[in-house]
Amino acid sequence: MAFEPRIVGFLCNWCSYTGADLAGTSRVKYPPNVRAIRVMCSARVDPTFVVKAFREGADGVLICGCHPGDCHYSEGNYKTMRRVPMLKRLLADYGIEPERVRLEWVSASEGQRFAEVVGEITEAVRRLGPCRIKSNLETDLAER
Amino acid sequence: MDCRIGVYVCNCGTNIAKVVDCDEVARAVRGMPGVAVVRSYKYNCSNPGQEMIVQDIRDLGLDRVVVAACSPRMHEPTFRKALAMGGINPYFLEMANIREQCSWVHDDPRAATDKAIALTRAAVRRVALHEPLEKRYVDMNPSTLVLGGGIAGLTAALELAMSGQPVILVEREDHLGGNLARTDLTAPFLDSARDLLRDRVARVSGNPRVTLLLRSELKELQGFVGNFMARVGPAGIPAGEADQTYPVGSVVVCTGYQPFDAARIASFGYGRLPDVVTSFDLERMLREGRVLTDKGKPPRYAAIIHCVGSRSETWHPYCSRVCCMTALKYGHEIRATNPDCFIYDLYIDMHAFGKGMEDFYRRSAEIKTIFILNEKNSVPEILPAEPRHGCGMLIRARDMLCGEDVEIPADLVVLMVGMEARHDAGKVAHVVNISQDKDGWFIESHPKLDPVATTTDGVFIAGTCSSPKDIPDSVAQARAAVARILAKIARGRIEVDAVYAEVDEQSCSGCRMCNELCPYAAIAYDEEKGRSHVISALCKACGTCVAACPSGAIKGRHFTDAQIFAQIEGVL
Repeated sequence: MAFEPRIVGFLCNWCSYTGADLAGTSRVKYPPNVRAIRVMCSARVDPTFVVKAFREGADGVLICGCHPGDCHYSEGNYKTMRRVPMLKRLLADYGIEPERVRLEWVSASEGQRFAEVVGEITEAVRRLGPCRIKSNLETDLAER
Repeated sequence: MDCRIGVYVCNCGTNIAKVVDCDEVARAVRGMPGVAVVRSYKYNCSNPGQEMIVQDIRDLGLDRVVVAACSPRMHEPTFRKALAMGGINPYFLEMANIREQCSWVHDDPRAATDKAIALTRAAVRRVALHEPLEKRYVDMNPSTLVLGGGIAGLTAALELAMSGQPVILVEREDHLGGNLARTDLTAPFLDSARDLLRDRVARVSGNPRVTLLLRSELKELQGFVGNFMARVGPAGIPAGEADQTYPVGSVVVCTGYQPFDAARIASFGYGRLPDVVTSFDLERMLREGRVLTDKGKPPRYAAIIHCVGSRSETWHPYCSRVCCMTALKYGHEIRATNPDCFIYDLYIDMHAFGKGMEDFYRRSAEIKTIFILNEKNSVPEILPAEPRHGCGMLIRARDMLCGEDVEIPADLVVLMVGMEARHDAGKVAHVVNISQDKDGWFIESHPKLDPVATTTDGVFIAGTCSSPKDIPDSVAQARAAVARILAKIARGRIEVDAVYAEVDEQSCSGCRMCNELCPYAAIAYDEEKGRSHVISALCKACGTCVAACPSGAIKGRHFTDAQIFAQIEGVL
């Protein structure tokens, strides 16, 4: 069977979650691989959430927030913007390709864009193949 | 975790069930730890659907509820109320979004059902960790800030003042009336715009409850619903010493629209050909009581071109809603000043959707306005005529009804310029913290069910700042916003969400990192204790501090690490 990536999405309540809902009300179709978790702001996405997702077997993580300058909490997304590159470097040290994590800006009116973003990350992660971190960790623990 | 969870998988008629196998979702969560009952039901938001949840809470002793249905942005309040009816804390609810983010966006029933199962499992795991939260109440300041003194703003200010509430009315220009003040008659009943405005402007200007601030704009808005601080200062200059601060409980944004700039479409020759004018130019002539060409002669041929900047692939894709009837109005008005004038009306589709409009269209045909169906996305070309033509200009267009290219004589051409979002709408949106759609219009909380509220509690939108509208719709929206505000004022104090951050003083190291990060200065530092604490009334629950605290000492209520971890485990 073909590899179907499992991707965890963290969507901010005000822009991206609403944008994802708009994709629904507009009946825009996109791949079913992203499973969304609603947070109030992308800045609530603690780096440990991302690590946890990979630890639990995710093949990719998508974080979506309001466009810069448009944050419902005025500047939360700027914090996210700074955290994510740092997180990617850390993940690379763990052997997780940084391309498995994507930070995108999706506004409440961008249902179409949300669908495109989901399509893009699904394809990118599909090309990378399954993330081995969970099985590797389990082998390590078993050998110990 | 000892809990009794009820799971309700809503079919939403066939909206969910036609793609997602709801019975399979129900089977998949049955037997999960804590799950006491699982039901698949046709419409959970219906009265019997809610009643089912209330009964189960009472009969089966449920203490947690998961509803797998539409977006929580749609019905979370509905189901929270059902929980409260059943006698349990409303925050013991979690929704799984299997409609907007599942059945409506996926075609493959297998994949959609798997995703719905994952989302529902995540909700079950999360809800087990929910904590009871108590609503907070804050006082409601009865003053309202109204931004914009057009017909919507005037109406809102007047209604509020008449109900005895104080109003701060802020207008950028040096006079009230907005775009309506530039208009002669209104369509389709040919009432005078002057009459509509005069009375309202007088009543607002002389009203002791209205603080009228002309040549002013909102510089900054702080606080939250019921308790905003609005900083207002002179329009067009940066915030400074001249600014005044007003405490207000609500804000109504009525900042209106700007007309499309006809010069952007070169082939119309606006600005180059003196007898090509916009609808607003013609309104000025009509208000002065004479319609003349640039050379001072009454036009023998007048042509009116619809959809200038509207319903176009190149410019704005939307319909501006008022231009069709306004164009018909010009037929009547030009004829009234100049009975011998021939009127040509070049339209794409005649949108006569409102009360009295179809009659008006018929009457316009009866006064022998000549209608020419013009091809969509083709821009008629306007050229100066030669003396043998006996007219000032020629319009080349394609008449779709006879399928031929035609040349129409014209001494005066009126361009029906559409509405567009104001150039400074982005600035306003930023100051009051609301969003804009792709065309720049402000976004309503729900386009059908909550059309004047926004995602910022206490900030309302009315009139053409949210989309093109005619006068009756703008007035209705202004009154709707006022009704919402008066309802809040009548209750005296208002409920605010129980979701906010809390610092555990035992774990806080006093590093003060969160103090700096908080966009609302809602975290204070206690010098004596050497610890930080959250001022809950100011906290808006973004969770920035929660994610940043190096000691893990801050808890984001209803979005705790444990709850989100459970959700991550559930979706995978």
